[in-house]
Amino acid sequence: MNLADLPNRRVEAWKYSDLRAALAEAPLPADAARPAGAWGALDGVIDRLAIAQGRHAITKVRAGEKEMLIERFDAPSPFGAYVREIQVLPGGSLTRIVVQSGDGVDLSAAYVSLSAGASFRQIIVSEGAKLARIETHVSVEGEGADVELNGVYMVKAGRHADLTSVIEHKVAGGTTRQLIKGVARKGGRGVFQGKIVVARHAQKTDARQYHHGILLEEGAEIYAKPELMIHADDVQCAHGNTAGGLDEGALFYMRSRGLSEGEARAMLIEAFLVEAIPEDLEAVIRDELTGRVAAWLREARI
Amino acid sequence: MFDVKNFHISVGGAEIIKGLTLHVPAGETHALMGPNGSGKSTLAYALSGRDGYEVTQGTATLGGEDLLSLAPEERAAKGLFLSFQYPVEIPGLSAIAFLKAAVNAQRKSRGLDPMPAPELLKLMRAKADALKIDQEMLKRPINVGFSGGEKKRFEALQMAVLEPRFAILDETDSGLDIDALRIVAENVNALRAPHRAMLVITHYQRLLDYIKPDRVHVLARGRIAASGGPDLAHELEREGYDKYLRAA
Repeated sequence: MNLADLPNRRVEAWKYSDLRAALAEAPLPADAARPAGAWGALDGVIDRLAIAQGRHAITKVRAGEKEMLIERFDAPSPFGAYVREIQVLPGGSLTRIVVQSGDGVDLSAAYVSLSAGASFRQIIVSEGAKLARIETHVSVEGEGADVELNGVYMVKAGRHADLTSVIEHKVAGGTTRQLIKGVARKGGRGVFQGKIVVARHAQKTDARQYHHGILLEEGAEIYAKPELMIHADDVQCAHGNTAGGLDEGALFYMRSRGLSEGEARAMLIEAFLVEAIPEDLEAVIRDELTGRVAAWLREARI
Repeated sequence: MFDVKNFHISVGGAEIIKGLTLHVPAGETHALMGPNGSGKSTLAYALSGRDGYEVTQGTATLGGEDLLSLAPEERAAKGLFLSFQYPVEIPGLSAIAFLKAAVNAQRKSRGLDPMPAPELLKLMRAKADALKIDQEMLKRPINVGFSGGEKKRFEALQMAVLEPRFAILDETDSGLDIDALRIVAENVNALRAPHRAMLVITHYQRLLDYIKPDRVHVLARGRIAASGGPDLAHELEREGYDKYLRAA
């Protein structure tokens, strides 16, 4: 595979994550025979790189079954790409946890197909890398399927975390709940790209997408591109996107009760981020995820 | 106990408080009344150390100790408490976790060990019961989705648990219905003590039917325009603030 095959920032889907520049010094894998994908969905840049590296996984959740998948992308490596195809059959449910942290170029993509009444819940906790991109593609193929895509990113200087998702409601009665929260320090960059497509026949779809970022210091960067494309007329869709500083009013309120500025900031940031980690997750998992947030804040000492 | 002398405060370059002097002795509760825009909340914020409220002249001391050189959290540790007119919402942080952190942060600055969790929880429960605050409310994120009355009750709870030496209550009556007002006032009254003083900021006399002040001060145009006994509040209710605005 050649550098010239990789997208530069003129490619819309990669305009905030300059993959070509990030991989300029990395040894690129040779091209491998490319499968069409178990369910024919693979069509992206990350898939090609992942398959060339031989990192292609498949998960199938049988009808009515409930499973959990935990993926940790935190081994040190200059370059890694990974793709997973996921199929959740009728009435099945999958919770996918993604934990990411690294120094190199760290790419992953998941292609999820949901049958009728299936549910897919995902929680990402990303600390970024030189360039980290976590793509999630969800295709709602069966009626009444539920999607919950949450995520937290926290990036310090030199780290780049890109959470990109595309959710396609192809049939009626599906729901999407998406809440992404992130913080960036000076020299860190957070990216959220979230597209929700509601097809013409996907009536009664109920989709909500929220992204909130906090720029912790001067020189932090957060880019957000929320997109709702609605082709049906009887749907409920809402979205919200904010990026700003830490709430000075809340900070003063806390300090006026005796908390030091550092303590108040850490508590505020933690409370802000942890909101995207659902309360009803299995305790041991939730503790690991909230623990990562707390550890990041301890190390950051902001 | 609490002394402010020749106090001048500017906000965004505009002088709001212009030479205010106020003395609240230990054991007393004073009311500060004044029309909207007279600088009541500005005074409260400046005394608590909020950024953007610049004290350009004057002194403020609590028990003889200077407050102005201290950070907001240090003022709190010295025993200053502000009950906010508009309490701030903090999504994701439970009221109980916040109050616990506040109590222990203040104890730490005073050189005390953290209060053991069971003891602290028991204390919070007892104080919450007295304020007719549902325990469930304490598990919710601070002030998020609280009614106006719930917010003011939570302020009163924080004050009851933190036991300040000097408390400023900024428009505690706004947002409270008459029953809630009575409950909050009872709890404020329960905190009245020989070693404690309070400044109750309001523009209606109504609150003062429940929290009876020892002295009443009228703030107009950035200064204390008049001071008197509790009757002064009744006079203001009858006659309004006009005469002070004109005189000033």
